[in-house]
Amino acid sequence: MRTINFAKRNFKEIIRDPLSIVFAIALPLFLLFIFQQIKIPNEAYNIENFTPGIVVFSFSFITLFTAMLVAKDRTSSLLIRLSVSPMKAVEYILGYIISIIPIILLQNVLFYILAIILGLKFTISVVFAIFVSILVSIIFIALGILIGSIFSEKASSGISSIVVQFVCFTSGMYFSADMLGETFAKVCKYLPFEPAVNIIKAVMNNNYEFVTLENVIVFIIYTIISLVLSSIMFKKKMTSDNK
Amino acid sequence: MLAIETNNLTKKYKDMTAVNGINLEIKEGELFALLGTNGAGKTTTIKMLSTLIYPSSGVAKILGNDIIEDRQKIKEILNVSPQETAIAPNLSVKENLEFMAGVYEVKNKEEKINELVEMFKLNEVLSKKAKSLSGGWQRKLSIAISLINDPKILFLDEPTLGLDVIARKELWKVVEKLKGKITIILTTHYMEEAESLSDRVGIMSKGNIMEVGTTDELIKKSGAKNFEDAFVKIATGGEVE
Ligand SMILES: Nc1ncnc2c1ncn2[C@@H]1O[C@H](COP(=O)(O)OP(=O)(O)O)[C@@H](O)[C@H]1O
Ligand SMILES: [Mg+2]
Repeated sequence: MRTINFAKRNFKEIIRDPLSIVFAIALPLFLLFIFQQIKIPNEAYNIENFTPGIVVFSFSFITLFTAMLVAKDRTSSLLIRLSVSPMKAVEYILGYIISIIPIILLQNVLFYILAIILGLKFTISVVFAIFVSILVSIIFIALGILIGSIFSEKASSGISSIVVQFVCFTSGMYFSADMLGETFAKVCKYLPFEPAVNIIKAVMNNNYEFVTLENVIVFIIYTIISLVLSSIMFKKKMTSDNK
Repeated sequence: MLAIETNNLTKKYKDMTAVNGINLEIKEGELFALLGTNGAGKTTTIKMLSTLIYPSSGVAKILGNDIIEDRQKIKEILNVSPQETAIAPNLSVKENLEFMAGVYEVKNKEEKINELVEMFKLNEVLSKKAKSLSGGWQRKLSIAISLINDPKILFLDEPTLGLDVIARKELWKVVEKLKGKITIILTTHYMEEAESLSDRVGIMSKGNIMEVGTTDELIKKSGAKNFEDAFVKIATGGEVE
């Protein structure tokens, strides 16, 4: 399996350069902790509501470091070697995704452990939420591949930071989108981040009033588009980089 | 069958012609050197022949397979050691070999890796991270990796560029061991490398193949005293004597 082989290599690259993972895990953990210390009179900050937001927020860092990994790979002469080999674009994309999933799992487990310490009730729904989160994370990895395929390593980190900010504002994790007006709220509904939070919230709380069918459809469409775009862009850039 | 056959193979970058309609015939098992100064078009030629870039025009066949139509098939039977050392920096030497064996889905993986470790004497650095190795070792690893899929055709792009005399001689020995077993196309701008390793030499200048022949033939043809003079005469079209 060329895909697994490539994923194994990526995973080794990631964990041997662990600074970025530490960031992707430590910062959200810190935020989760801090916001539970100061009692904010807003439902968004209840542990049941805030934890799914933190999970999605942490995924935006996954976008960041996937983008940097891909951008770095693109400039290394190793890619010349791989471009000559029979590896296909799909195998690269899947290889990147699979290599990052263990890190997603680690993030999630740590977040929920802290959330439970901070008062979240442990039920089987938490375990389901972790599984669903892994599916939700795919779009963030795909976005990372897309950004890393288009931009240089330096520019990638900048562009990905925009994604991080975007997630903060449009996911409803810190405040309900309604607070910034009707139009803004509407826009958020048709961006992938609020639906992502809603999906995890619904599964984690075993309360499907948090999510609408529309949310799920919007989210799936964005995931598919990101996957397709990232494959096309990666392949395109791989041949043009070698020119 | 010819290992490589090109017909008017051309690569243009905007208004700059990097490779200008070259015609080459390289026999199976031959070690063919492309000799030329910097910017002559050697790397561009190799990139086209190894499926890395598309030619602007012209045709090329690798063991009878068209480089555009039969791309996927060609990828299985050739390999390249690129001009810049191409290794995974955070992986050890062993892991690099294992990784590339996986990329090519090599069947007898362990056996193949052991064979290459033996051949390139990589034992002493086997567990070292690739990025911590000296330039000479990195180059050796890069070349070893390019043999992982038992290629029928091997492209070595400036294999000894930037190496010291001893490392260079060591690499020559390895290349000599491969000679005759597989077809090798080696690019270089060192005359003595072309002279001592190759069966035939193609002299490239400004995107053109100026002459092809054994070093003796080229010396005779140009009327020069030695190969270096012959090269200068041929590469400059006789302008520099
Ligand atoms: N991607 C590219 N864009 C524009 N010009 C290029 C590109 N790649 C190579 N060239 C030009 O083509 C010529 C041949 O380059 P190259 O094949 O690398 O030469 P060599 O390997 O013999 O030193 C050079 O003048 C180089 O500047
Ligand atoms: Mg070159």
